[in-house]
Amino acid sequence: MKRFIAFFYCLAVFLAAIAQDRATITAVYSYSHPAFENAGEIKTDEMTLLANNTRSKWFNRMSEYCDSLCSTPEGKNKLQEIQIAAWVIFEPGGGITVDKSKPAPSKDIDEYIFTNLSELSVYDKLANTASTYTEPYSEQEWNLDEGSTTDIMGYNCIMATTDYHGRKWKVWFTPELPVSFGPWKLRGLPGLILKAETDGGFKFEIKDLGRSDEQMLPLYPGTNYEKVDRKKALADHKYFMSHRTTLLAAEYGANANLKDGVEPEYLPEFAIECDFQ
Amino acid sequence: MNRLLFLIAFALAALNGVAQVDVSGVVVEEGSEEPLPGASVILRNADGKIKKFATSGADGKFAIPTPETEGYTLDVSMMNFAKQTVKLDSVKMPVTIVMERSATMLKEVAVKAERIREQGDTITYDVGSFAQTQDRSIGDVLKRMPGIDVSNSGKIQYQGEDINKFYIEGADLLGGKYGIATNGINHDDVGAVEVMENHQPMQVLSGISFSDKAAINLKLKNKAKATWTFHGHAGGGYSWQPEGAVWDGELFAMAVMPGFQNITTLKTNNIGEDLSGSATDFFASGRDTGLSRYVGVSLPGVPNLSGKRTLFNRSALLSTNSLWKVRNGEFKAQIDYSFNQVTAQAANITTYFLESGDRVITENRDGRDRSHSLSGKFIYEVNQKTTFINNTLSTNIDWDDVRLGVTGSLPNEQSVKLPDYHVANKFKMIKRFDGKHLITFQSNNEWESLPQTLNVVMDGNNIRQHIGDHAFHTHESAAYAFSIKGLTISLEGGVKGYLRSLNTELPDLPAELPGKTENALSTNYFTVYATPKFEYWVKRVNFTLNAPVSFSHYTFDKAIANRSEAYFSPSLSMNWKPNNRFSMTLRGGAGRSPMDLNMIQPGYIMTDYRTFSQGVDDFYNSTSQRISANFAYKLTRKGIFANAMVMQSWSHVPYTMSQRFYGDYIVYSYADAKSDGKNLMALGSIGKTLDFMRGSTNVNGSFLRNESRLFSENNAVNTVSTGWSIGARINGSPLRWLSFDYSIDFSNSQLGINGIGNSWLSGMENSLLLIFMPQGEHWSKWEWRIKGDHYHNELTEGKYKNVLLINTKLVYKLNKRIELSAMLSNMFNHRTYNYTTYSELSSYESQRWLRGRELLFTISLRK
Repeated sequence: MKRFIAFFYCLAVFLAAIAQDRATITAVYSYSHPAFENAGEIKTDEMTLLANNTRSKWFNRMSEYCDSLCSTPEGKNKLQEIQIAAWVIFEPGGGITVDKSKPAPSKDIDEYIFTNLSELSVYDKLANTASTYTEPYSEQEWNLDEGSTTDIMGYNCIMATTDYHGRKWKVWFTPELPVSFGPWKLRGLPGLILKAETDGGFKFEIKDLGRSDEQMLPLYPGTNYEKVDRKKALADHKYFMSHRTTLLAAEYGANANLKDGVEPEYLPEFAIECDFQ
Repeated sequence: MNRLLFLIAFALAALNGVAQVDVSGVVVEEGSEEPLPGASVILRNADGKIKKFATSGADGKFAIPTPETEGYTLDVSMMNFAKQTVKLDSVKMPVTIVMERSATMLKEVAVKAERIREQGDTITYDVGSFAQTQDRSIGDVLKRMPGIDVSNSGKIQYQGEDINKFYIEGADLLGGKYGIATNGINHDDVGAVEVMENHQPMQVLSGISFSDKAAINLKLKNKAKATWTFHGHAGGGYSWQPEGAVWDGELFAMAVMPGFQNITTLKTNNIGEDLSGSATDFFASGRDTGLSRYVGVSLPGVPNLSGKRTLFNRSALLSTNSLWKVRNGEFKAQIDYSFNQVTAQAANITTYFLESGDRVITENRDGRDRSHSLSGKFIYEVNQKTTFINNTLSTNIDWDDVRLGVTGSLPNEQSVKLPDYHVANKFKMIKRFDGKHLITFQSNNEWESLPQTLNVVMDGNNIRQHIGDHAFHTHESAAYAFSIKGLTISLEGGVKGYLRSLNTELPDLPAELPGKTENALSTNYFTVYATPKFEYWVKRVNFTLNAPVSFSHYTFDKAIANRSEAYFSPSLSMNWKPNNRFSMTLRGGAGRSPMDLNMIQPGYIMTDYRTFSQGVDDFYNSTSQRISANFAYKLTRKGIFANAMVMQSWSHVPYTMSQRFYGDYIVYSYADAKSDGKNLMALGSIGKTLDFMRGSTNVNGSFLRNESRLFSENNAVNTVSTGWSIGARINGSPLRWLSFDYSIDFSNSQLGINGIGNSWLSGMENSLLLIFMPQGEHWSKWEWRIKGDHYHNELTEGKYKNVLLINTKLVYKLNKRIELSAMLSNMFNHRTYNYTTYSELSSYESQRWLRGRELLFTISLRK
């Protein structure tokens, strides 16, 4: 069956190539956001946007690499081997220690967003469930502030603002790169968005920008995404994150031992979209 | 219907008092007339302000409702199409916008990348964030990267250890001659420098054999890839000493393409830069032919000053290097020619204060060294996961002619001809099968001829020393290795054969010297050897044990008795890398080895006008032990790199060098007495980035102590030389219009003889470079640099010699490709480096010459 899926995947890739789903721009952004695990700290991840005139793909390269490995049974085993070699220390007494701070490929960011001129398709892990939902393309209403311009990487950028899913976003886009996409779900401006920020420490900043001829590959097979309602899924996610230890303990039948006895609550401060309350 | 809508719209507009217009149309591709989705459509008012915008849909259509259109324009743009601007006053709706294909150029921007990034075993340095305006080559920028050291020759060290490979876009074009790249490639063509730690260059050994060396890979910018890049400069001017015209020129061409790479460089100058070392192979191991020159006549130098200030030269270099990717391998051809001519002068006056009146001895030396070197290297290599094949054919011809005239108390004229001819072919093949088994075959064959001729004209007599020295070495070996559960066991076995003949003649030996003046002998051997090697990994520790055993039979053609010997030289090393930040290596070894066969030489050989050497008349073995420890620490996120090394070695030889005087002549030979030497060396370095001013800083220190023994006139002389040094450098651009580079080096050394310590003598060098980059429309093309070098050298205890040399340079950047500059070196025209030292019974006066004031105009071009 897996081979069958792999074959269809190859076919899909081939068809995608025929359809010339190649990016013209590749942009790497740093994504800063409040860290749930270490309250008060800001965490920074690296995300990639591939875009052409009609489509874009937002994802994390390391996660895609892991997904590509996991799409075959051999690759999945290989990845686990690498991870065990890097993270697991076998103690002389027979015990093991797992130290995930050691460098090894791992999928830490589950989000993929595919955008075209009519809708966005979001694939993410919400409430420990692989979930997918769509949004209409024309949901963001932008207000331009042509008085506020700035230079980012040599491109003249104009400021624009929008209220979106519970937060007021301030972004800078450049008409010099006429693709109407940007980091995360931000889109619909007459130029690439190079920087975006909102209160609470959420920020996207361009790190690297270049011409591209890369194919915007679809998702690798191997994960079954469940269709969800966005708001409901986000609310479930909040519940899951706030009761993670006990929920996982219940699922796997283990004892939940919390460091301080109390699990921190996943407050809206940690969520980039907070309109699910 | 339309009319009705119009009426309603009109009525509504009338109600609002504003007319609403629909700016609509379709975007199509020129030629095909196909609709284009995703075009960005911007409506601007008469002032050019954005009023509204939209994106063309799947059918290429767009519609923007707007209250007015008077004076408005419509901008339509798309990636890979030329932007179209339409004046709305002159068109009817719906409008058809025809887009013409054209490349949308992305800007070359200084990417705001982190200056140093780490991913696994690879550390990436962003070149743009370390480069400063005065830097030309990538080597200039590498020097500023913490953790990396670059010597003037272009040789690179990472965390105190030599690198083992230098790649350009992943291909090893230059091998060990990468100095051509470090000193040649324009830093502006390089995007990033990657350092690959624990790099195993042979893929077939990956996971089987550990490497504690790092490799460097240059990632070029897109503009330098898949094309030829050129740059060069030509300069001419006038020098006050040596008086006359000066020149400096360079042409550098590079092609980095998927299947082909080439670097060709042509350089010439007479401004004090010796180019003969530019094509040195840093990875070359010593030649197995084992020949070395007996004759050595060298020109006088200027102590403690940099070559650029003191070298009177004419140099030229041509080097061309190509790499072709052929099916699953690579073919490389490297051809180099260099020419170097150096002239030097020195005068010494020694005055002995005697009761009968002062006695003055003068010595003036005046010489010229002219050398040519031509070499060719042809390499075929396959480097795959299961197969490694390398065949390297190299040929080398050198000519070195030296002429040195001495006037004064022992007037003479020496001329030396030292050609060298060398041919070698080295073949190596490694096969890996079943993942864990390795078989290696090697066959190395080398031939060398090193004739030497010394002519001395003294007191009207002509003395001629001729030496003929030829050797052939062959080495065939096979090895098998396999690994089980982290343990790799390998066994190498082979044979070596060596044939060498030495013929020397010295027909007119000075009457003072007793003994033979001819040598006609051969030193041959045949060796069978086996080297078991064990490598073991446990957690993050690698242990390697090498235990070579060999048996050799030496034949000397009756010059001395034939010998058979067995040797065993085990060595053990341990590398511990608990995490990505820290690494430690301990090494130890002991062994027994045969003497240098060049020392077997019963007759005299004249090595310069007053020195003779006479070798041993028996065969000896020596023993030695050594231990060393290396530490390296890095915290890439903070840009901190540190390393330290300590090494102690002992040597025991059953003979000791001895020195005897016959009249004015000195004879070096060997006495049958045990001699023990001891050597301690410690080095350390710490570097840190200074991000707030785009700079970096580095502090380094070293300590050396060496004990050895020699016999002089039958008295044992034990010498202990001790020295330490400390240096620091800092650079950065604290202000938009200013950048600087400062370095200080202090060294202190002492030579103790027979337990009596001479005084410590110190030397200090300070160097400061300031660059002013005026801002503003008219001035931003100018740049002014001023550099001062200050030397503070201790001649005898408490007596110092100070020299301050200043250079200044004015640069005008005509455009991105052309730069004009005028440089004035040694502004105050210091022409000599003279000093006098006194002792109770004598005075010693030394005169040396410096390069005088020099004015050089240069034009630099790049493509």
